Amino acid sequence: MSDFIYLTLAAAFFAIAIAYVKGCEKLRRGGK
Amino acid sequence: MTALGTLQLILYFGILLVITKPLGSYMTKVFEGQKTFPSRPLGWLERGTYRLIGVDPDHDMKWTEYAIAMLLFSAATLVFSYAALRLQGVLPLNPQHFGTKQMTPDLAFNTAVSFTTNTNWQAYSPDVTLSYFSNMVALAIHNWVSAAVGIAVAIAVIRGFARKSASGIGNFWADVVRCTVYVLLPICFVGALVYVAMGVPQNFDPYTTVTTLEGGKQTIALGPVASQEIIKQLGTNGGGFFNANSAHPFENPTGLSNFFTLLLIWSIPAAITYTFGKMVGNTKQGWAVLGAMAALGLAGVLVCTSAEQAGTPFLHQAHIETAATAMQSGGNMEGKEVRYGIPSSALFATVTTGASCGAVNSMHDSYTPIGGLVPLFNMLTGEVIFGGVGAGLYGMLMFAVLAVFIAGLMVGRTPEYLGKKIEKFEVQMAMLATLVLAASVLIGVAVSSTLDLPKEGALAALNTWPGSAYGGADTIYGATANNVNNASAHGFSEMFYAFASATGNNGSAFAGITANTPFYNVALGLAMLVGRFLMIVPLLAMAGALAKKTSIPVTSGTFPTDNPTFTGLLVGVVLIVGALTYFPGLALGPIVEHFQMQALAAH
Repeated sequence: MSDFIYLTLAAAFFAIAIAYVKGCEKLRRGGK
Repeated sequence: MTALGTLQLILYFGILLVITKPLGSYMTKVFEGQKTFPSRPLGWLERGTYRLIGVDPDHDMKWTEYAIAMLLFSAATLVFSYAALRLQGVLPLNPQHFGTKQMTPDLAFNTAVSFTTNTNWQAYSPDVTLSYFSNMVALAIHNWVSAAVGIAVAIAVIRGFARKSASGIGNFWADVVRCTVYVLLPICFVGALVYVAMGVPQNFDPYTTVTTLEGGKQTIALGPVASQEIIKQLGTNGGGFFNANSAHPFENPTGLSNFFTLLLIWSIPAAITYTFGKMVGNTKQGWAVLGAMAALGLAGVLVCTSAEQAGTPFLHQAHIETAATAMQSGGNMEGKEVRYGIPSSALFATVTTGASCGAVNSMHDSYTPIGGLVPLFNMLTGEVIFGGVGAGLYGMLMFAVLAVFIAGLMVGRTPEYLGKKIEKFEVQMAMLATLVLAASVLIGVAVSSTLDLPKEGALAALNTWPGSAYGGADTIYGATANNVNNASAHGFSEMFYAFASATGNNGSAFAGITANTPFYNVALGLAMLVGRFLMIVPLLAMAGALAKKTSIPVTSGTFPTDNPTFTGLLVGVVLIVGALTYFPGLALGPIVEHFQMQALAAH
């Protein structure tokens, strides 16, 4: 169970990081 | 500063300067896909790797594609390491029979994150926790690939400045493979043999038990040390094979191996500035950046060495000889190896924290307040004083963008750097990268120094050190602040250092903090992830935006960025950003401790 929690935490971080990439690209294109 | 210390410093910076141009030129050829002398013996490995992973090295990636490939690759290798660490009990090369008892889930998370992010923070004692397999496969793989990822990102950022009207910034897979095969592998192969020749062991033997001269029993840890040591230093990783790290005689046997290690740590970060100059078509640009790094590094060495050599007022009051003589080092020798003395320890502390390496040959917790402030401040600059392999350069380029922006504001012109207009988006990205680092350090240390975890109940487990794994009873701590060995200012410095080290992806420990608790393993793990990836993404975005721009001609109004004036401005911006962001924290830690020490001695 603990392994699942920590792996989920890592997966959540990388999901946020990928969303961050998309957010930066949107900003570059002039979006808000 | 002793004469020998001065001589060593001159020799060190001199040799580093000599290495910079040839290694930087070689790296330029590697990343431009040109033939180099290892192309013939190692070309099959590069081509075979592309076929194995099914990538086309000539495919030019947009910055988003580059960033997502980097993130997914890092995520996959993180999960691999987590699994290998947790399963070490059933995997081979485990003569000491280490298992999950030593490698708890929170520790495995922290360790896998730590090595994936090139931090190599170790919340455990490796010689009583890790199997040889864990060391050589689960962790050593990151010593290679996390270093290669850092260099690849720096090359991609350079391409952003160098290319004109381009949509892509290179191929992530090609950059990582070329770096690993042609830069890291040849140097490590030769360097590991040099370490072996200097007395570093390389074997798979179980630990040896010997009878000491006093008749007691002592267990001597062995293993494949040299092969790990070389990439640990060259890749600015820093994670030790032994708990004592580079203070251990099997990792760093002599003064010569110490000097060799110091050169390894700053060699690639220095050389990549020349690569930068070559790729943007003006090597003076690279020298200007290197000049800023060297000025900050030299200042740190001088301050740290002087503070340690001066000792403390208490040593003077105790009538202890603090001046160096032919027979003893003088100064503050607490926490330092007598084999290295003060100059080599202070130089090592400055080099390892300036470079996000994190290897240590002395205990930074035992430094004088001002001596200890130097490694802490080095990490707080964002690791740009040479910095991690690749990470130092892309961090310094972030400051260069801020420097030309500030210069542009002062003279009332649109800022330019390397023939590219620096506009709103580039400044936004540079500021985002700067603020992410500051937020990670300051929020982490603020929470840790004020959070009062209960001693009983479900939440107590968050702050419990699994002492039973080491044969002792569980030790329960209360507030997170009680995890530190020292109260007040020094204890605050211990926590401040931990979050600065994690966010800066340095990995060195101030010591004095019991970090192997679920709270610290998760909090510091998140700081490492934020410090690595949430800094890289905006810088890649900046590179993508710059690559699309055309070059503007140099005019009489262009602010030159390849001369000592710009070097001075760059140093000033690094210091001002660092000072403005972290001065309150430094004031609460080492600065107030210095004045407390002086006041106590006076009474």
